[in-house]
Amino acid sequence: MLEHIVFYSLSTLVLVCAIGVVTMRNTVHSALCLGLCLAGLAGLFASLGADFLFAAQVMVYVSGIAVLIIFTVMLLGRASDLHLRQVNDQWMAALLICAVSSEGLLKIARFFSGTLATTAAKPATRDIGRLFLGEWMIPFELVSLVLMAALLGAIFFSRSEASR
Amino acid sequence: MTLAHYLTVAALLFLIGLFGVLTRRNVIGILMSIELMFNAANVNLAAFDRFLHPEGVAGTTLALLIITVAAAEVVVGLALLMAIHRNLGTAYVEDFNLLKG
Repeated sequence: MLEHIVFYSLSTLVLVCAIGVVTMRNTVHSALCLGLCLAGLAGLFASLGADFLFAAQVMVYVSGIAVLIIFTVMLLGRASDLHLRQVNDQWMAALLICAVSSEGLLKIARFFSGTLATTAAKPATRDIGRLFLGEWMIPFELVSLVLMAALLGAIFFSRSEASR
Repeated sequence: MTLAHYLTVAALLFLIGLFGVLTRRNVIGILMSIELMFNAANVNLAAFDRFLHPEGVAGTTLALLIITVAAAEVVVGLALLMAIHRNLGTAYVEDFNLLKG
């Protein structure tokens, strides 16, 4: 029973905030909605028993990416943006594409409608560490290379023209 | 809770993100919608890991890699957006037409 309450309240929060992200006219409001949506997703990970993923979601997404996006919105925003339409003319076609794709995606979901969890969730942090430093060593190193490249790219692109 | 519940939530989140990518005029809005789609994929991976493969952690680990790549993507995207905004003075995608000729 408790599991149902947690799942339905978290998924309602996530979906309502996600609709807010794509429909809000004020970009600051949609950035704040994004933060709330990511926090709700962290709760969903916790309800799935993925403890380390929950911690990573809170640390990277909620306190990193959401804050970064809010900073950028506040740097770039102008008061005149509030009077402009934020949605382009093709929203009908986009809605049609989403309706067609939803058919296939929900069919996949229906296929697993009888699948229940067989065992209780257990802490996974130790196994993740072993996997990263053992079998998945090369992806782990590649991802650190990607982070290094992103760091250098961000510094390079955000410098002013004069200092280049 | 069955696996279908989690897959449905992830599918709806992905479709909302897809709708946002296709319709938002602001580049920051498009970046935020892409984040929603990444997160839908992560929910799927975590759910499959929990329900179909409970003795391993490969799904969770792959989701962690996705989180890392998403962070790198958003950092570079926002830096590019700042550079474009400095040059063109706008954040709306239909004004980014320098290559149109």
